[in-house]
Amino acid sequence: MATSRVGMKDFYRQKKNSGGISKPSSKTKSTKKTPTHSSTVGSDAVQPPALISHGALDLQDEYDSKEELLRQFDMNMAYGPCIGMTRLARWERAHRLGLNPPRNVETLLRSGKADAECLWDGRV
Amino acid sequence: MEAMDVDQEKKILHRKQSRYINMDEIFFAEKEPYRGQQYSQIYFARLHFLRTLLYSLVPNWKPHLPVCTILGLEEGKECIIVGTLYKHMKLKPVILDEYSKERSATPLFKPHNFRHPDDYLVLEDDSGRVKLDGGALLPPVYVTGVVVALLGKETGAGSFLVQDFLEAGLPPQIEKPLKPSEDKYVVFISHISAGSSASNPLLFQLFVDHITGHLGDEKEQRLEAEIVHVVIAGNSVEIPRGLLNGQNLASKDLSRLSEPIKELDIMLTQIAAGVSMDIMPGPNDPANFSLPQQPLHRCLFPGSAAYNTFNSCTNPHFFELDNIRFLGTAGQNIEDLEKYSEAKDKLEFMERTLRWRHLAPSAPNTLGCYPYTDRDPFLLESCPHVYFVGNQDKYETRLLNGSEGQVVRLICIPKFSETGIAIALNLRNLECHALSFEVQFSS
Repeated sequence: MATSRVGMKDFYRQKKNSGGISKPSSKTKSTKKTPTHSSTVGSDAVQPPALISHGALDLQDEYDSKEELLRQFDMNMAYGPCIGMTRLARWERAHRLGLNPPRNVETLLRSGKADAECLWDGRV
Repeated sequence: MEAMDVDQEKKILHRKQSRYINMDEIFFAEKEPYRGQQYSQIYFARLHFLRTLLYSLVPNWKPHLPVCTILGLEEGKECIIVGTLYKHMKLKPVILDEYSKERSATPLFKPHNFRHPDDYLVLEDDSGRVKLDGGALLPPVYVTGVVVALLGKETGAGSFLVQDFLEAGLPPQIEKPLKPSEDKYVVFISHISAGSSASNPLLFQLFVDHITGHLGDEKEQRLEAEIVHVVIAGNSVEIPRGLLNGQNLASKDLSRLSEPIKELDIMLTQIAAGVSMDIMPGPNDPANFSLPQQPLHRCLFPGSAAYNTFNSCTNPHFFELDNIRFLGTAGQNIEDLEKYSEAKDKLEFMERTLRWRHLAPSAPNTLGCYPYTDRDPFLLESCPHVYFVGNQDKYETRLLNGSEGQVVRLICIPKFSETGIAIALNLRNLECHALSFEVQFSS
């Protein structure tokens, strides 16, 4: 990986979010993450066409600011580990332990529009 | 002749009664959904509870000293950190040893105690971990999973030199009721081991006859009528292990498997008919393996479960009798501490669990435990008046005095099938004595 770092920058023009979570690229992309063969470096021809749009690589998946808020909640160490619990269960535990978790997270989770499981669900 | 008229002429002796409240709800796991969680959740719940507690105790302990997280340690600066201890043990069996190429490193025999002079302690909180140095915290005393507050400073080598430590201490105790005027006894028995070739059924029958008042003259019966409750602390049956080897059981073996339980049920029916009793599952009983063990199922005891005096309880077991709180286990927590730490006797292990405010600190590290997510049921929120542990090798007891006036009677209940000893505790003054049974056949 270190030797091809220069090539990596061309591949992955990463957008750094202010909070710190940048979701790793979508599942189809992840198989191409380690450029093990130098022939793939810098070459657009081996990228599946769907992943290149408007000259830039498409890294943003369908998640909006609400999901971003929930992911910040998942990653916050003060409320304990997030794996293995639904987000609402974790929020309720944090509330019961007196940790004052943010109320807007609760309303978002109860409204049913957001993903009930944590960010790592099914991926770890 | 007089004996036959005893019912008409003398009044029938009545057994004394006590108000019994079962408080095992915290140990039930029936409603807990398993969603693939790992043990990090239970450690978080434990750290949070005990850390909040220790933070409140720190100002009285070392005022004017800063408290910081492990990642916030600065070299040379004296401060207080709170976290969970991890003990690195060289001899602790690791599953990866099976795959290691150099087999000579592991001993061929399994030692029953895994201590080694090279064991060291590490403190972990949710930000990081740091190795502990110094003579204040001795590795042989502690096990992984204990939460402590430490005063010290970070050394140049990156470890933390401990100068002093603070444990959570005994929890608050509710007031013991004013001394009742009469003697009432609770009898503890454990490791009846019905069905095993080593146990003598006559010995247990002798015990049952004694507590139900079928033995002795009137004076003896008066004493027996003062027994208000019986607690069976685990290992009541021994299922023949040879049958459970993964093969299908032949029909004649099926009955051999259930005979110990049937034998136990016959005995328990005699007890339940006379006095209220609790039965706890133990390591050898047909219950789940991990703590907290769930109550033995009622269908195992068709005879005795019909009585309302029969209570099938969890292990650990928490109950209240006449406003006196009892807490006890069938021994797994203390046995596990004995494997990974050192103390002068079992009572000292019991005292430590009370001071650490946790019944089984080595769970889930070396002791099987259910992965709770939102709470740790083994945390002690209140101090019991009586703390008992079953399946021990010998009978030991001591009265423990806490710093805030707590008084706890610690009891180690010996194995009945080996020693023939059951324990009777007087509720009036929390004193106990042994009931010793012996059977001898003249040859």
